[in-house]
Amino acid sequence: MRLRERPQSLSAMPTRLQRAVGMAVMLSLPLAGGIRLAESVLGADAPGGVAEAVAAAVRLATAGPTGGQAGLAADADLVAAMEPAMLVPCLAAFAEATPAGVNWLSSGLDRAVEQLGERVPLDELTAFVADAGRPARGRVLAERWLRSRAPEQAAALLDSMLSDPALPLRRAAIEKRLAAVADAAEPEQLAVHREMLTAARDVDQVQAIAAWLREHGDAVDVSEVLGFVKQWRASEAFDNVGGIGFAAVYPPEEAAAAPNVADWKAVTAEGDGGEVDLNAAIGTRKGVVSYAVAEVDMQRGRTAEVRIGSPCAVVVWINGEKVIDREIYHASEAIDQYVGEATFRAGTNTVLVKCCQNEQTESWAADWKFQLRICDPLGTPLGVQP
Amino acid sequence: MSATTLLSGFFRRRWAATAAAGLLIGAVAPAVAGDWLGFHGNDGSGVAQTPIRRTWTADEGIAWKVDLPGRSVASPIVVGDLVVATASSGPKQDQLHIVAVDRETGELRWERIFQATGRTLCHPTSAVAACTPASDGERIVALYSSCDLFCVDLEGRLLWQRNLAVEHPRAGNDVGMGSSPRIIDDAVFVQIDCQGDAFGSAIDLATGDDRWSVTRAKIACWASPLEVDLEGQGTCVLMQNPRGLELRRVGDGTAVWLWEGDVGGIPMAATADGLIYAPTNGVAALDPTAESGRPQWQQPKLSCGISSPVVFGDAVASLNRGGVLVVADAADGSVRKQVRLAGTFWSSPIVVGDTIVAVNMEGTTFVVESSGDYAILAKNELPGSFPSTPAAADGSLYLQSETALWKTAAAE
Repeated sequence: MRLRERPQSLSAMPTRLQRAVGMAVMLSLPLAGGIRLAESVLGADAPGGVAEAVAAAVRLATAGPTGGQAGLAADADLVAAMEPAMLVPCLAAFAEATPAGVNWLSSGLDRAVEQLGERVPLDELTAFVADAGRPARGRVLAERWLRSRAPEQAAALLDSMLSDPALPLRRAAIEKRLAAVADAAEPEQLAVHREMLTAARDVDQVQAIAAWLREHGDAVDVSEVLGFVKQWRASEAFDNVGGIGFAAVYPPEEAAAAPNVADWKAVTAEGDGGEVDLNAAIGTRKGVVSYAVAEVDMQRGRTAEVRIGSPCAVVVWINGEKVIDREIYHASEAIDQYVGEATFRAGTNTVLVKCCQNEQTESWAADWKFQLRICDPLGTPLGVQP
Repeated sequence: MSATTLLSGFFRRRWAATAAAGLLIGAVAPAVAGDWLGFHGNDGSGVAQTPIRRTWTADEGIAWKVDLPGRSVASPIVVGDLVVATASSGPKQDQLHIVAVDRETGELRWERIFQATGRTLCHPTSAVAACTPASDGERIVALYSSCDLFCVDLEGRLLWQRNLAVEHPRAGNDVGMGSSPRIIDDAVFVQIDCQGDAFGSAIDLATGDDRWSVTRAKIACWASPLEVDLEGQGTCVLMQNPRGLELRRVGDGTAVWLWEGDVGGIPMAATADGLIYAPTNGVAALDPTAESGRPQWQQPKLSCGISSPVVFGDAVASLNRGGVLVVADAADGSVRKQVRLAGTFWSSPIVVGDTIVAVNMEGTTFVVESSGDYAILAKNELPGSFPSTPAAADGSLYLQSETALWKTAAAE
C-alpha cells in the first residue's frame, strides 16, 4: 500500500493541554464538551501530543452534518498519525459523537491502528472495552481491533457483558454463552436459553432464542418478551380515497390526548409480532383511515422510544403530542420500523395511532395493520397496560 | 427557459425542451483506459473494448477470488490498481464497508467501515450495499441504501461524507435504495427517489458541498443518473423515475427537457448517437432535440425487466428477468434476434469486445456473440447468488456474488 506522507509525530509536539484546547477554541469548534473530556481524561499534566490528538478527536466526534470537511479530513490525518498512548484517550471522544462524528472519528482511529501495527496497546484497549461506563461506540470499535489482534483476550471479556449497554457486545456475549452450552445436557441448555431470553434485546436474537425454547417445550410468548402494546380500541373508518386522509384532521386527532372512544371497538394485538389487524377488526377496506388508542402506565415520568411497524402510512401521538408521522404505503414492514422519542408521565399515558390504508389493489398491498411497543434506547420494553 | 408543450398522440406524453436546444452529441467523455468507474461502466454505457476469455470455472480461468466482509448486491468498480467493492454487515446491516483489493493479486489493500446513519431495512433480495460506487480515478464515492455517501481517496482516507437521511429525515425506502451515484464534471449526482423526502443533488466532489439540489416526485425509483451532452445546454444529467425522464444542466440544475410516460423504475436508460433509449414498454428511442416528444421508435419486445439496456455499435440489447436477450437495430428498433438464456436475471448485460455478457442469479455467465448469429459461445458457472452487474477492464471480468468477488484470468 502506498503511504501518505506522515504528519509530524504528535509525541514530538511540545504542547500542553491548555494550548491544544485554546487552539481549538480559536478555530471556533464545538469544544465545550471536548474541553471537559480532554481535561477529565488527561489531567493538566498530560503530554502535549496526547492533548493535541484528543482535541482533534473531539473535533472529529462533534462534526456537523455538512461543511468544513477539509478541516475534518486534516484532523483525521492528525489522529491517524498518533502514538500508542493517544489511542484510548481519543476513544473517549465518542462520548459526545454526532452521527457524522462517529464516522469521522472511527475512520481516523482505524487508520491509526493500521499505522500502529504491533504497537497497538492491547492491555489498555482491553481495559477500555471492559469498562461499561466508557462510550459504547468506542468500546465496540476497540473490541473489533482487539478481536482481530488478540481474539482470546477479546472473547474473555464477553463473559461479563450479558447485560452490557453496548448492544453489539451484549449480543456477542449472549451468542458466546449459548454456544458454550451447545453440547450440554438439555436442562442446562434450557436454563441458559431462558436466562438469555431475558438478556437479549435485538429482536432477531430474541426470536431465535424463543424459537429454540419452543422447540424444546417452552411456551414462550414472544409478543410479551418484546413488549408489544396489546389492548387497543379502534375507531370507525374515515376517508382516505386519493390519499387525503393522512393530512386530514378527523375528530379523533382533534382530541388526540383523550379521544372519545365510547363507540370504538376493542381489539387485541395478535401473534408473535403483536399486530393490530384492522382488516379483521373493522373489515377489509381500501382508501380508509382508522384510529386506535391504548393506555400505557409508566411507573415514573421519563422519555422513551415509541417503536411502530406498519406497511401503511402511520401517525402516532403520545398524550396528544405527535411523535411519528410516515406517509409510506406498502414499501415494507418490520418490527421497530419507525422510532420516535416521546415524553411519558408517571401513571396512565394515551397512545393514539392513525393507520392509513391506500387504494393499491395488488395482493401484497392488502395488509392494514400495525404493531407498537415502547422501549428504552436498548430495546427494553417499558410500560404496562392497566 | 422557453419551453414548448405538445401532446404526442397515443403516448399522451408531454415534451418540453428549450428552443435553443441543439443536437445531442456523443454521449459522454471518453472512458479512462482500463478502468470501470461506476455502474454499467465509466459512462453507464456498459461497453468495454478489450476482449475477455470466454470460458472459466471456479477452478480454472480465475485470477483470484476474495470474500466480501458482508453482503452486497452492488457492482465492483476498477480504479487504477484497485478493485473496489462495497458491503454491509451486522445484525442490522448497519456496518458499511468499502473494500479495496489489489487488482492484480486480489490482496486486501484497505478497508473502511462506517456506521449507517439512515434506514437499513431492505427487501431480502436487496442489500444496504446496493448502489455501485463511482470514481473519477482519484477519489471514490460510495452510497448506501441508508443514504450515507462517503468520499475517500485511493488510500481509503475519508475526504468527506454526507449523511443524507440525517439532512432529509424522511429520505429512504425500506425495500432498499439502489440508485448508484454518477460522477460528472467533478460533481457527484445522486437520486434519492422514495415516498418520503425525495430529491436529486449535485454534490461537489472536492468539498462534499451541494452545488444544487432539487425536490423530486415522492415515488420510489432505483434507476441511476446518466450523463448526456446536449448541444446548446452543455453537459446534462438524465434522471428518471416511473413517471418519466428529465435532463438537467450539470452546472446549475436547470431542467431543460422533460418526457412524461411510464418508465421502468429500476433499469437505467442508455444513450448513444444523439438518442436516449428509455426502458418504457420495452425500449423507446427518444430524441430530446426533436419538436415532438413521440419516440423515433418503440419496441415492446425489448422488455427490460429490471436490467438496463445496452447500446453497442448499431444495436441495442435488453434482457428480461426470464432470461430472454433481445437484440434490435438501434436505428429503427427492428428485432434482429431473441436469444433464450436461462435463469433469473437481476443484473444488466454488458458488451465486452465482441461479446455480450450476462450473469444470472444462479451464477451462470452467458457469453454471447455481439453480432452475426448472436450465438451463445459459453456458459460459465460460479457458486453463489449473482445479483450484481459485472465490471470489465483490461481483458478481465469482475464478477460479484452477494458475498464474494471473482476476477477472471486474461483471455486465452
